Amino acid sequence: MTPERPTIKKLYALSNEGHKFAFSLPLKNVIRVNGRDYTVELCEDEKYGVHILWKNRRYPVEIVRTKQNRYEILFNDISHMFTVETPVSMQRKKVLRTGKGKSQALVVRAPMPGKIIDVLVREGTAVMKGEALVILEAMKMQNEIQSDVTGTVTRIGVKAGQNVMKDDILAEITVK
Amino acid sequence: MTKITRILIANRGEIAVRIMRTAHSMGIECVAVRTHVEPDAMYLSFADIIHEEEDEMAEIPVFLDVEKLISIALKTKCDALHPGYGFLAENAYFAEKCRDNGIIFIGPSPDAIYKMGNKPVARQIALRHKIPMAMGTHGSVANEDEAIHQAARIGYPVIIKAASGGGGRGMRIVRLESEMEKMFILASREAEKAFNDPSVFIEKYIENPKHIEFQILGDIHGNIIHLGERECSIQRKHQKLLEEAPSPALDEELRARMGETAVRIARAVGYYSAGTVEFLLDSDRNFYFMEMNTRIQVEHPVTEMITGIDLIEQQILIASGGKLTIRQEDVRLKGWAIECRINAEDVQAGFAPAPGRIERISFPDEPAVRVDTGVRAGSSIVASYDSMIAKLIVTGKDRHDAIIKTKLALDKVWIKGTKTTLPFFRMLMRNPLFQAGTFTTAFIEKDLEKFHTNSEYEETIAAWLATKLFVEENLSERKTGISFDQGRELTPWLLRKRLTQF
Repeated sequence: MTPERPTIKKLYALSNEGHKFAFSLPLKNVIRVNGRDYTVELCEDEKYGVHILWKNRRYPVEIVRTKQNRYEILFNDISHMFTVETPVSMQRKKVLRTGKGKSQALVVRAPMPGKIIDVLVREGTAVMKGEALVILEAMKMQNEIQSDVTGTVTRIGVKAGQNVMKDDILAEITVK
Repeated sequence: MTKITRILIANRGEIAVRIMRTAHSMGIECVAVRTHVEPDAMYLSFADIIHEEEDEMAEIPVFLDVEKLISIALKTKCDALHPGYGFLAENAYFAEKCRDNGIIFIGPSPDAIYKMGNKPVARQIALRHKIPMAMGTHGSVANEDEAIHQAARIGYPVIIKAASGGGGRGMRIVRLESEMEKMFILASREAEKAFNDPSVFIEKYIENPKHIEFQILGDIHGNIIHLGERECSIQRKHQKLLEEAPSPALDEELRARMGETAVRIARAVGYYSAGTVEFLLDSDRNFYFMEMNTRIQVEHPVTEMITGIDLIEQQILIASGGKLTIRQEDVRLKGWAIECRINAEDVQAGFAPAPGRIERISFPDEPAVRVDTGVRAGSSIVASYDSMIAKLIVTGKDRHDAIIKTKLALDKVWIKGTKTTLPFFRMLMRNPLFQAGTFTTAFIEKDLEKFHTNSEYEETIAAWLATKLFVEENLSERKTGISFDQGRELTPWLLRKRLTQF
């Protein structure tokens, strides 16, 4: 006997920028913009591949990555990050957020794959916002990876000469 | 005149395709080089003969290997070689080696390449010929102390440039004396790495200029003309993103003055073939000679579209010893052309390279639209080369018309498989400052808050799609039994499959 699950009536898509979109279930192929409903369709054909049909126009769409309830949607060449929450998980998220202690360590990640040419700081170095931390070479360009905050370097994740992947941790800065 | 019958294309990508297209129309055969990095590249299908380069263990890529390219040209019985742009296009030693081996180098003389390639030498020549220039050092700067001394003489802000540089690499702007030591070391190190020459020189930094360049054509008989200017101020970190011709900043009088100056510089080094003289133009309409590029430029199509002159054809005719048949007074600029460089870059992540496989690609097929590309569906944008996918060149009767047509054309470009710079151009065409034409090289870094447009409905649709996936993956699995692959990358095919099941 499978116990009857409570029916979920609503889902929320939360964007990385903090925007919240609510959709009633069962999900309809309709989106409301400025008080008017428009049909949205997910289609695929030989010529265009997977795409969205919206107001009689095709738009390319791609799902770049999914992780649990996280989705990266590439729509018309612009990506959007969402987490999808049920009313219950939404509530839990709120509780967690209020109880969380403030962590002030900022992780600096590689914005692109490449090679570390130079590490300009050491653990313990005090850095100003905008100060260069490492030099990363990618596609023959040397890029200064700068600190977004003023603080102290508490961890260095790379060495000169090392190859890094996108999002590898380069350094950690702790704000005073 | 020497008749050229077979050309070795010492390059890849869209420029290889571009050169072969003109060569074929002139009845000339082309040899292309297949590399293990992109064995199925599009340019290969345009070649009459493909040379197989199988040396996977080679440290230097074949397009940078002088001896290898010469031996391929000799082996495949080419009488000429076109270097394209990048790689060895501005390498005087390479041009000389071609000549020594009886191969016509489709470009200027080794001497002109050397003189213009070495920036302090070029500065001295320009100085001798009274060409307007930003104040600067007379030669390379030896060390940090001299740099500090020289910068004080010139006055901050200054720009440090690689002596053997070009293309924006190895440049540093310095605004404060306290930054000089660090910046000097960085610039010098970058120059050594990029150009095998650590020497740098210092120039006064012109604030918020426009980047204007003139297309030059010269023959070996001493005839030199210019084909008007290109506006290249839309740049990011000195990398051009969009070019247009003509420039909204120039009128006939200024065009004539700058054009005459450009011809004068070219004449000073006995220039022949196609070349480009770059200037900075300040807000008071003063112009300063920056450098000369001794090759065909990426952005050459905008000049072709408004002059009706095929620059590759001219290069080949000049290389075979022909006389320029176009006189300066024959050159008429007609209409307006805009080129968007569609690169595999992530605009939302600061234009970080986004290499990948192009799954689908199509462009509008219209008379106003020209597309120069070296990729097709199934091609890969590989990290070892540049990130260019295609150049979208749109021509209109005037600037306003060209912008409207570019806007429409951009909406019809369909690329799947990688992120591209398309959102940037879609935004740019709608930007009032761009439309007004008054932007400078600081436009992207200072005047833009966002690199793409963000309409709310787009985000709403994306949110809907995310929700649809969530429903399908989580809430319907008890009914349909579809497994939920955590963290797995979904191919469009898989996505489609799941959605139909849903």
